[in-house]
Amino acid sequence: MENALHVENLAKSYKRSMRHPGLLGAFKGLFSSKTQEFQAVKGISFSINRGERVGLIGENGAGKSTTLKMLTGIIAPTSGKLEVLGLLPWKQRRELALNIGVVFGQRPQLLWDIPVRETFRLLKAMYRIPSDVYEVTYKEAVRRLDLEPLLGTPVRLLSLGQRMRCDLAASLLHAPAIAFLDEPTIGLDLTVKEQVREYIRDMQDKFGVTLLITTHDLKDITEVCDRLLLLDKGTLLFDGSLKAFEKKFANESRIVADLERPATASALRKLSAEMKKHGGIVTGGEGHKLIVSYRKEGSAPVLTQILLKRQKVADLTLEKTDIETIVTRIYRKKPGKN
Amino acid sequence: MRPLQPPLTFTQNLESYRSLLVRCLKGSFSYKSTTINNLLTTLVAYAITIMIWHQVYQQNPNHVIPSTQMYVYLLLAGAVNYAMSLGMEFRIGQRIRTGLIATDLLKPIDFQMAQAIQSISDGLFNGALSFVVFSLGFFLFGTQMLPSSPSAFLLFLVSFVLGFTVIYGIGFVFVQGAFYTYSGYGIFAARNALQFTFSGFSAPLDYYPPLLRTITDYLPFRHTIYTPVAIYMGWVTGPAAYLLLLQQLGWTVGLFLVGKFLMGRALKQLEVQGG
Ligand SMILES: Nc1ncnc2c1ncn2[C@@H]1O[C@H](COP(=O)(O)OP(=O)(O)O)[C@@H](O)[C@H]1O
Ligand SMILES: [Mg+2]
Repeated sequence: MENALHVENLAKSYKRSMRHPGLLGAFKGLFSSKTQEFQAVKGISFSINRGERVGLIGENGAGKSTTLKMLTGIIAPTSGKLEVLGLLPWKQRRELALNIGVVFGQRPQLLWDIPVRETFRLLKAMYRIPSDVYEVTYKEAVRRLDLEPLLGTPVRLLSLGQRMRCDLAASLLHAPAIAFLDEPTIGLDLTVKEQVREYIRDMQDKFGVTLLITTHDLKDITEVCDRLLLLDKGTLLFDGSLKAFEKKFANESRIVADLERPATASALRKLSAEMKKHGGIVTGGEGHKLIVSYRKEGSAPVLTQILLKRQKVADLTLEKTDIETIVTRIYRKKPGKN
Repeated sequence: MRPLQPPLTFTQNLESYRSLLVRCLKGSFSYKSTTINNLLTTLVAYAITIMIWHQVYQQNPNHVIPSTQMYVYLLLAGAVNYAMSLGMEFRIGQRIRTGLIATDLLKPIDFQMAQAIQSISDGLFNGALSFVVFSLGFFLFGTQMLPSSPSAFLLFLVSFVLGFTVIYGIGFVFVQGAFYTYSGYGIFAARNALQFTFSGFSAPLDYYPPLLRTITDYLPFRHTIYTPVAIYMGWVTGPAAYLLLLQQLGWTVGLFLVGKFLMGRALKQLEVQGG
């Protein structure tokens, strides 16, 4: 497999100027320039092959955008190795630009004062997109993202969602080798999110675009990507397939029961004791609802039987933990969030 | 999978520039009321300037330059200045502050060239409008607004274009400050004040006190207004005029190189704002 990008011990620290409080402080700040180093990315390493579909997740401030900024060449790393399509991004930014497509969440590349169509035409010239490619990418974008009614509108009159769709289309018009998409679905409603995912998938199928997507909506990942990078305060916490991620973290399933009558305290104690012998933990027991969680695969039949024998059950569901739940749990576990 | 694209050749870049120029020009037309506003304010300002000078001449008619020549100079300087008003500092300053600069840097087109194209667009747009200022002069002073000779007019055209490349060069050098301050306002104010003082916009340089006059000789600003207008009016002719054109060319090249160098340094420390 051909390598798309390679990163080794990549780190970035920002200098933050210490601000004195108040108006007088702001004035002082004009003369003194005390700065403080802040490590946004703390030495991460990974490789991505051509055609891979990778999701990059992490809490706010984890360093996702900083990583993408380094990969696309608009900021220089503080230390570490970095190669994208065989180029050194911040030194060869322009050569790289021809072969990548970038969406930066709330920062559209569209020309503000003139209709969307004009930006598309400009990009066609700028990226020297061959007509046969443009035919496909343009038509596909217009069809999948419903752009037809927007094409003649000046960009500043578009709504956020409309602009995001146009911007995404603009960034993939030249069918780039790699697409770096920083929160491409931010602020979109559910149906449009679905459209956007379909469009990205489609472009991936047709042109083998390598995808690196950051998002807070895990559906973007589960529906578009097959590999996951989890950043946490500048360090890489996980790198692997979605399957491997679930295996590693999703080792808990649950039986959720709706009881006909709330269980008495003594009945609950007995139930807990017996469940425990078979690896089940009774967690919720208030009112009609009862939850039994377990870790060992294949325990569901036994635990369910015990439950049905001891209680009158009105309804029953089995829940596997999905990626969203896992990720929320990982985020929540850590102390000292910012 | 599309094969990787090699860097663009010079002619391919020209096509991008042409396409960009067209979009910039189209963009210029989207702020009609601002444009009209600017133009009217400018016209009023020149009318007032001329009235002030009229007063001055009435009190003391023995000036170096006869009164009508003075008025003609001021209106020409005004028209040239209008054609050369660039919004570069504001535009780039704002893009740096909001982080939109990222999208500019991610284009396969050279940033400095893209800014030059935008400035040419500004120049063409404002240049067309500057005819309104010129017409005001024509309305007031008739044929005295015409160039001193056909050859002076040709030299003026060349000098005007070079004046434009000089002002672009100055603007681009100043703009580099915005990469550090993350705002273009102060920088625009500074450049504008210098331009106002040292270009010959408010009075012919021949009127300046000796010290100030000497300073203007060492700065590029006079080449944006005084030089082309003086050539137009026939104050400078022959070899002296050619020498001025050469100086303009020298400043253009020098400023371009300085701008390129500063830009390289500025980008190294740029921290594109916003997540
Ligand atoms: N230009 C900057 N100057 C100082 N600190 C910054 C700058 N850009 C980002 N940061 C900080 O670096 C950290 C990572 O930011 P970012 O990469 O934008 O996070 P994410 O995209 O994962 O939300 C944050 O704590 C943020 O405050
Ligand atoms: Mg971000």
